[in-house]
Amino acid sequence: MQFRVDRQLGFLATVNIAVLVGGGLLVGASFLDIYNLQSMASQVPELGLLALGVMLAMISGNGGIDLSGIALANLSGVFAYIVVRDHVSVDDAPLLFSWAFAGVALLVGLAGGMLNGLLVARAGLTPIIATLGTQLFFTGLAVALTNGSALGLGYIEPLDNFGNTPMLGVPQCFALFLVVALILGVVLRFSPFGLRLMLLGSNAKAARFAGIPEKRILFLTYTACGLFASVAGIVIAARTSSVKWDYGSSYVLIAILIAVMAGVRPEGGYGRVICVVLSATALQMLSSLFNFMDISNFFRDLAWGVLLLAFLAQSGFDPKAWFRALRG
Amino acid sequence: MTIIRKLAACAVALGALGTATAVIAEDKPTIVTVVKVTGENWFTRMEEGVVAYGKDNASVTTSQVGPAKADAAQQARLIEDLVAKKVSAIAVVPMDASALEGVLKRAGQRGIKVITHEADSMKNTMVDIEAFDNKVFGARFNEKIAECMGKSGKWTSFVGSLGSLTHVQWADGGSENAQKYPEMELVSEKNESFNDANKAYEKAREILRKYPDIKGFQGGSAVDVIGIGRAVEEAGLQDKTCVFGIGLPKDTGSYLESGAVDGISFWDPKDAGFVMNKVADMVLKGEEIKDGIDLGVPGYEKVTVKKGAGEGVILVGQAWVDVNKSNYSRYPF
Repeated sequence: MQFRVDRQLGFLATVNIAVLVGGGLLVGASFLDIYNLQSMASQVPELGLLALGVMLAMISGNGGIDLSGIALANLSGVFAYIVVRDHVSVDDAPLLFSWAFAGVALLVGLAGGMLNGLLVARAGLTPIIATLGTQLFFTGLAVALTNGSALGLGYIEPLDNFGNTPMLGVPQCFALFLVVALILGVVLRFSPFGLRLMLLGSNAKAARFAGIPEKRILFLTYTACGLFASVAGIVIAARTSSVKWDYGSSYVLIAILIAVMAGVRPEGGYGRVICVVLSATALQMLSSLFNFMDISNFFRDLAWGVLLLAFLAQSGFDPKAWFRALRG
Repeated sequence: MTIIRKLAACAVALGALGTATAVIAEDKPTIVTVVKVTGENWFTRMEEGVVAYGKDNASVTTSQVGPAKADAAQQARLIEDLVAKKVSAIAVVPMDASALEGVLKRAGQRGIKVITHEADSMKNTMVDIEAFDNKVFGARFNEKIAECMGKSGKWTSFVGSLGSLTHVQWADGGSENAQKYPEMELVSEKNESFNDANKAYEKAREILRKYPDIKGFQGGSAVDVIGIGRAVEEAGLQDKTCVFGIGLPKDTGSYLESGAVDGISFWDPKDAGFVMNKVADMVLKGEEIKDGIDLGVPGYEKVTVKKGAGEGVILVGQAWVDVNKSNYSRYPF
């Protein structure tokens, strides 16, 4: 199968390069130096992973969405830290601690994702309602576990390196994000699961009559969303050396913005992983550029809105047809 | 394939840019103040101090930024970009101190001077600035309550939540001070208002019902006095009770007028902003921050300096501002 460069991909790649070039012109070399490129790259995974979850939920159709992502990410971090700190000593075995932390966090993500999956696939709840409920549930659980205060992890070398130290010039958490994205991309493109998910999303009724196991696919999809959220939770813990229930409360909407800007069809059936990756990097670079230029953060929200509208306009706008219509 | 051509053109432009960008000379040191959220009265007032320092001192450039939403993650990202931009100094009022340890450590490693405010547990800071000692602040409230209620009778204290360290310190400072006056009786102390004026109102009503002869209230969170004031006003006890606590002049004005709230204290964010930048400038110039120095701002004329949670120091002023009915309108926040 050949790699397609479609409109979305072309547009997003152009935006990425335009922001880089624009940043170089407006700010100077400091925007393009290796430190800033690494700094921007290491800021991408938190939101990028959540956006991948949103994308999967959207593709599954029937108003699919996952609002519980960041709540589950925080819960994973909080729960994993509380469990692991009682059983593994940070000072004696930092590496074991880090792996145990990651392992428990993933299990929490798996469980949370399965809960979403059960609610959507088995109980047949509307995804937006089900995940809103679980969002409150996960948040509440994290508050109850910590009494609402942040838990500092302190300096745990392996975890800190994962969050902040580049390996071969690439921040490790960004590399992990790319690997996760690659795996998801391959699964969606080449596996029977990917094909069935796309078909289910484009036309649920037809998929049902074609014998596609709707419930199982939905269940697996939301479980995967939960897993992505917990990976985001691990990245957050590594990068901030702390876990708290309300970290990233603004991420829910930004993750959806990234997915929609990547051309994922909100009504289901279509979405490309590489577009989500490019959309996440574009937003990050734009946001960093504004910070470099001392532009108000309120303006940044506005700019993201403009970018989204520009994207929606370009995807629905066919210049050739427009010119033909003009000529009459 | 036009898209491919477009991409290629962009890539060429980028390459040319990378080789040709002139290095822009760094002329003046830049101090950037990062606040919890932009657009709140408190931080708008703080910005006045930040701008004022820049105006008074032409040798540095000062500015204030903050996220559009009060979210620790957004604040961390903002600082991350400032670190990459390599500003000279960052003065930050953390949304959540522990979430910023990582990024501020990277700032330190990159040679950026880090100053914090209201974060005495922060490890990766060079100087943390506290407007005052919290125990002393609490004791002062109690002293005023004692004076107002004639050093005898029942009184109680409020906190935002038992998890808010500073609020608990204020309440404890108050009760320690009250031990000087054996006639004063502390009843159901540290009521939690959860930083909600309505909850404070309900709690105050309960207390008024349970102890109709109560005379003193000490507010903890900045909205406690509003709730207590409302309850006192409804019970018509303006003249029989003494209500003191932390509060903001604009919010509390009407209760100060009616006498339901007798006095409020706070620290002026404008001064805090000015002092943060002054200290950052001093650290940039390599001047020592030592005990007893005068920062030239009211309340910070003779500061106490003690060891912080990490390598840095904690600088403590006596920068409280007390206002009552007569002078609250002088403060526009």
